[in-house]
Amino acid sequence: MLNYTIRRLLIIPFILIGVTMLIFVMLSLLTPYERAALYIQDIPKRQGAMELIIQKYGLDDPIPVQYWRWMVGSKDPDSGEIKGGVLRGDLGWSKVGKSSVIEVIGRRLPATAELALWAAIPMIGIGIWLGVVSAVNHNKPTDQILRVFSIVGWSIPTFVFGLLVLMIFYAELGWFPPGRLSEWALREVLSADFTRYTQMNTIDALLNLRIDIFFDACRHLVLPVLTLAYLNWAYMLRVTRSSMLDTVNQDYITTARSKGLAENNIIRKHALPNALIPVITVSALIMIGLLNGVVITETVFNWPGMGSYLAESALSLDVISVLGITLFSAFILVMGNLIADLLYGVIDPRIRLQ
Amino acid sequence: MKVLKQLLKNPTSLAGILLLLGFMFIGLFAPLIAPPPPRSRDPYMIPRDGFATEPQPPSEEHRFGTTEGQYDIFYGVIWGTRTAFRIGIVITLFTVIIGLTIGSISAFYGGWTDETLMRFTEIFQAFPFLLAAITLTAVLQTLYGRSTSGPIMIIAKGMAFLTFGQPPSEPVDPIQLQILTGMLAIIIFGWMTYARVIRGNILSVKEFEYALAARTVGASNFRILTKHLMPNAVFPVLVLASMDIGAYVLTFAALSFLGLGAQRGYADWGQMISFARNWIPNLSDFWYIVVYPGVAIVLFVLAWNLVGDALRDIMDPRLRGKIT
Repeated sequence: MLNYTIRRLLIIPFILIGVTMLIFVMLSLLTPYERAALYIQDIPKRQGAMELIIQKYGLDDPIPVQYWRWMVGSKDPDSGEIKGGVLRGDLGWSKVGKSSVIEVIGRRLPATAELALWAAIPMIGIGIWLGVVSAVNHNKPTDQILRVFSIVGWSIPTFVFGLLVLMIFYAELGWFPPGRLSEWALREVLSADFTRYTQMNTIDALLNLRIDIFFDACRHLVLPVLTLAYLNWAYMLRVTRSSMLDTVNQDYITTARSKGLAENNIIRKHALPNALIPVITVSALIMIGLLNGVVITETVFNWPGMGSYLAESALSLDVISVLGITLFSAFILVMGNLIADLLYGVIDPRIRLQ
Repeated sequence: MKVLKQLLKNPTSLAGILLLLGFMFIGLFAPLIAPPPPRSRDPYMIPRDGFATEPQPPSEEHRFGTTEGQYDIFYGVIWGTRTAFRIGIVITLFTVIIGLTIGSISAFYGGWTDETLMRFTEIFQAFPFLLAAITLTAVLQTLYGRSTSGPIMIIAKGMAFLTFGQPPSEPVDPIQLQILTGMLAIIIFGWMTYARVIRGNILSVKEFEYALAARTVGASNFRILTKHLMPNAVFPVLVLASMDIGAYVLTFAALSFLGLGAQRGYADWGQMISFARNWIPNLSDFWYIVVYPGVAIVLFVLAWNLVGDALRDIMDPRLRGKIT
């Protein structure tokens, strides 16, 4: 177990290097001029401005040299000071976010985390419940209906579902607006008497005892949470259902039945705990996915989180942001996978990791 | 054959098959259902009726209404069926071929080859998919904007031939090129699941006696791999993968929705829906710009999923997730 963990941990830096290098390789397909053009907003007025930028950022150096510079930083020829360098904790300047990448992530991550946390509750809770109902009624009409419901959920593109709920609940009824807060609430949140402990509006509002802001934040959360939950129920239902069916066919359940236990008891006390093992891993993986930013959902609902940051920076080829996000997401993904695998071993002693 | 019979017996998969046949019919007879205007250069570009910004509701002339910029929605939905089939089939084909090659080489040769290839696969899996796909699409679009030769152009020509039937001797249409960049990005970051599943399957059949038997009678590695291991380890994966066509159409639609993928005005469902982003506060008046193309995508993907779900129950390895 310990060996396995150490080996997996040792691989992580290599994966991170590989992932970021791959981005550099992609960018090396562009000429220095094209890359320089990504750094500037307008057409330069002075002649030779492009050359200056290329020289300043060393865009015509070989790609490995540029990669090295991104990793360890570069020495300023005038002051002799070392600037930048990921290994020194500097992810560089984000053009899209107009501040350092770390700051942008620090600002965007709480928004995504808030969305992910609220979405997790209905997603996992109701998803498991639906899966159990489906399995208990195996091949009966309830099961069939739930399966169709989940396949339909699986087939709806996120943006179509998002636009449809916006059409009904925002454009038509005016109940749940897009965005993260209403204007008045945002002004309150940014004002001096409101302390932002976690940067998650719902939690901060409660800590500041501002019920009105809490409700406003919730109003904005309803639609994206609903979208994420509905689209993931299909998956949760599927995993719970098949795991539940596997468990119900085990000998020990037959034993419990032959002892004359009530069916309800068998399902809840004997079958469910074992059936939930794979569900835990799947939920963990879904949560990692959510934390890494739900690009389409955030774009549709104008939610200022990691996903929309990702989309904006990739669309405008903001290289430094793309690298920063890649590094961050890949790290969360690899660590999350490792933790999920380890958890799996802890919960289920039958699984021995090598 | 036995599988097909089972599929036809199950009401849900039967519904899926019927839906698919319906879409094939629409795709085949698109020129009759929605005839392109007489002077159109490319039937896949949706004809416009004027240039007014505001969408127009369904009418005699435009059965499903028009989107922003007066693109006819009915026409786009009908011709979009062809685009969906083309994109889905070609992406699936290429991802499966890459996954198959890497997975089988990795499993069969084992040792260092396996180790290297699997680490390589892991690196691709560690990418946030949309980030990688969007970045690559943006890079490729710049690249294709300037160069007309080189290996990248050869790939584009090959794909244009397979996707649009464009003869390789002619230069690739820029409108098609833009679609190809999105497809390429999805292919390059989409093969990993297949590689892993195929590797796993081959590893398990490799232990069976018949593989050893083939080796003892002196069959070459290549022969064992292609004649003995592939048919047993790979066929189920291929059948299931063919059902991923729907999922890839969904992914491509997401790219189109973000403004990559198909060009403005191209008969592509995702691209048509992306117009709706500009009209969110008025969507209840302009419902038709989301609902018609939206229903088309949902039914198309649903059809593949209904068949795929039944197939999975019949054959059952574990495959893939979805983008939210």
